[in-house]
Amino acid sequence: MTPEVLVFDILAVIAVIAGIGVVVSRNPVHSAVALVVTFVNLAGIFVMLRAEFLAAVQIIVYTGAILVLVLFVIMLVDMDDLPEFHGGAPLQRLSAIVIGLILLGEVAAAVLTRTVVGQPGPWNEETIAAAGGNVQVLGQFLYSGYVLPIQAMAIVLLVGTIGALVMARPDEPTTRAGGRTTGTISLGHSRGADLVALPSGAPPARVIHREDMRDGLVMVTSADAYTEHAAWAGTDVPSEPGAAEYPTGAGIGSEENR
Amino acid sequence: MGELTATHFLLLSAALFITGMMGVLTRRNVLVIFMSVELMVNAVNVSFVGFAWEQNSMIGQTFALFVIGIAAAEAVLGLGIVMALSRRADTVDVAEVTELRD
Amino acid sequence: MSDQPLWISFVVGFIVLNVLLIGMAYMTWAERKVMAYMQDRIGPNRTGPFGLLQPIADAVKLIGKEDLIPKFADKRIFVIAPLVSFVTAPLAGLVIPFGDQVTIAGRQINLYATDINIAVLYVLALSSIGVYGIILGGYASANRYSLLGALRSAAQVVSYEIALGLSLVGIFIISGSLSLVDILNQQRQTLDLFGTGLQIPNWFIFYQPLAFVIFLIAAVAETNRLPFDLPEAETELISGFHTEYSGFRFSFYFLAEYISMIVISLFAATLFLGGTDGPIADGAWWLILKAMIFLFFYIWLRTTLPRFRYDQLMGIAWKVLLPLALLNIVVTGFVRLAFNNQLW
Repeated sequence: MTPEVLVFDILAVIAVIAGIGVVVSRNPVHSAVALVVTFVNLAGIFVMLRAEFLAAVQIIVYTGAILVLVLFVIMLVDMDDLPEFHGGAPLQRLSAIVIGLILLGEVAAAVLTRTVVGQPGPWNEETIAAAGGNVQVLGQFLYSGYVLPIQAMAIVLLVGTIGALVMARPDEPTTRAGGRTTGTISLGHSRGADLVALPSGAPPARVIHREDMRDGLVMVTSADAYTEHAAWAGTDVPSEPGAAEYPTGAGIGSEENR
Repeated sequence: MGELTATHFLLLSAALFITGMMGVLTRRNVLVIFMSVELMVNAVNVSFVGFAWEQNSMIGQTFALFVIGIAAAEAVLGLGIVMALSRRADTVDVAEVTELRD
Repeated sequence: MSDQPLWISFVVGFIVLNVLLIGMAYMTWAERKVMAYMQDRIGPNRTGPFGLLQPIADAVKLIGKEDLIPKFADKRIFVIAPLVSFVTAPLAGLVIPFGDQVTIAGRQINLYATDINIAVLYVLALSSIGVYGIILGGYASANRYSLLGALRSAAQVVSYEIALGLSLVGIFIISGSLSLVDILNQQRQTLDLFGTGLQIPNWFIFYQPLAFVIFLIAAVAETNRLPFDLPEAETELISGFHTEYSGFRFSFYFLAEYISMIVISLFAATLFLGGTDGPIADGAWWLILKAMIFLFFYIWLRTTLPRFRYDQLMGIAWKVLLPLALLNIVVTGFVRLAFNNQLW
């Protein structure tokens, strides 16, 4: 057994055990740490496969950025322990393990009996070293043949950034422009006009503050007063004295007011 | 098992991919599902680079680089969705967000 | 790939790590002394002559303290987190070239542990993993202020890492290589200033002054030093992510910070100031002298500037350093293309 196979075996076994740890851990932070271990081992395997630049990019981008983001989200999303680990479905887990092993057997059978079709490429160790190293050869590839995919990837990343900014914005209606903070009932509406007899001489619109409403109840007598009420602009319309003589408790449309 | 051949890498890639797949299918926490998807993507990357090594080609490494880049964009968007979901539905349990309307 | 046997690389690496650890211990002494003299006092002078045994006294004190783990803390992660920071910090020192080759006992030995062709990316990757020491430490403390401090600190480190990496892209464009040994060899040539016969060394600081400034600012922020040390200052969130750590575990974080300061100083000296290149005799002493200039600059900043607020700190990273670094890349690329580096 050559030392390369030994090193590969150690890295691969630790990577697979950590991968199983990702799937099996109760605590998502433990899953994330196990995933970090997997990624670092995979970076080691990439170095063995003569892909040093890819190994460095894997650590800098995947472990250093994406998993940090995942850890941030885990810590900012406040969650309780999920019920999947409490008294739930050992049969499901057992069947998952069995199906996984069967699939692994099938893929192993396919891998071990494969045939290679086509010609190998020109980039073995000597030609890579002659061209200046792994980074230089990748640079030649990326900036001559694959320029357009790189530009496309840049656009995808830009779109992703903008999308994330939009989705992570706070969601409350009060922060949107023109959001309503008051409840409204239109008495100018034809259904509202026959519910309560308004005292004569009542002003076209008023705001009543009730205990069960945060910002008050706006009462209007015409549709225009409804749309042009200052409450839409968010300014505070002071409630009037004498508001207590309006019925509270039972709503305007409730039985005893019909 | 004397020499290092591509079979080693393909078996590793298969094991990681199947582990990730089992994670996606059995877990209920959306963040663990997300991490299992990343595990699957990395398994595919190992397979790409393994083939590039065996066949003396650079295209595998180039493609794996693009996969890492796109996975970064996908991670950002996916986690944004997770945060929006947790704010709206107040849970990260995928078994509870089973209806389209609130 | 170097052609020296593996065990020689191991021995050189071991020696480098020991040198870094001793350097870190005396860096704490130097900081206290220099800060003291800048503040018109004397500093430690009782433990040994000039207080030189002070680091040993500190170590003995910290080891003797009780090992506390909070009750609701996540024990495994609480133990592992400071180790992540402490292990990744000195590993970056293994690629820094301290010289060319010496002949000991008939063998040619390189004065660096290894010459990998992605050395600069390796250092950046190690600092990316070091972020986990901070986040996991804050999480495992079961203290929500620690968690907030850890998240702030991690966001700061990740943001300044981007500025750090981008400021180095200009050097890659000029030198065409990511290996520190190649970059050092290129800086050893002399430069004819505008063809007038005035000889200056070919140091990259003359090619990339803006990148040098960005690198310095980003390096101070990366290591969580004043004026960017809001996440771990004692007046903010009690002490940030290492509030619950005491005794020797706390010293892991503390020493990891000093080791990363030393390593980044060595790194800056190699990338921008020519490393072991000097007017009289090339050697490791020039590198150490240049690194000491940077370390003095770190201590000087600590005693002079007040602390930035968190939003100012993040604003500097994203609104100032990142656009400047991108501008630097564009200008460097243009100069390289148009003048083929023969600007002067």
